[in-house]
Amino acid sequence: MLKEYAGRVRLIFKDLPLPSHDLARPAHEAARCAGALGRYWPYHDKLFANQPKFERADLLRYGGEVGLPRETFAACLDARRFAPEVEADVEQARAIGVRGTPTFVVNGRVVAGALPVEDFRTVIDEALKDKP
Amino acid sequence: MVNGVRSRTARRPRVYTIRIILLVLALVLVRAVAAVEMLGDITVEPTMVKGPPTAPVTIVEFSDYQ
Repeated sequence: MLKEYAGRVRLIFKDLPLPSHDLARPAHEAARCAGALGRYWPYHDKLFANQPKFERADLLRYGGEVGLPRETFAACLDARRFAPEVEADVEQARAIGVRGTPTFVVNGRVVAGALPVEDFRTVIDEALKDKP
Repeated sequence: MVNGVRSRTARRPRVYTIRIILLVLALVLVRAVAAVEMLGDITVEPTMVKGPPTAPVTIVEFSDYQ
């Protein structure tokens, strides 16, 4: 869908692992490790394709599948190097009143919950109309 | 005298109306500023962004992998 709006839409992804999902936080930290190694989006797509299989061995395997150097990636994951960054995202969500996932903020307009593609397209089109 | 009193009481509702309008405008302005600040507090990690910074529409997605 982003391809369809190429150049007109920018997507900023924010981590919001919910407390009830105990395997989510390591997955979010792993994705940031992948990002530090230049493979954020391929790893991100891997996680969504394989949820909720997020045990340590799974996370490491996905790293290998997207071409991450195993030792460096494992060290980053085990050291929880990006735990503060993930926590900062959670705090920011809390600060602006975002509680559930997914929540989208489209040019300041909050859209809570997963919308059918067609409805989402309408929201984007409206935002584009406001800002030609 | 009587006329003066009358005109004063007649003026009051208008003063209140103007005050209420100003108050509503101030509240709208405060809300608008708050909305802008709300997004200003969101940090952007460059590796977690798709699309150009010049794009007219910015979507911030809060998601949980699990």
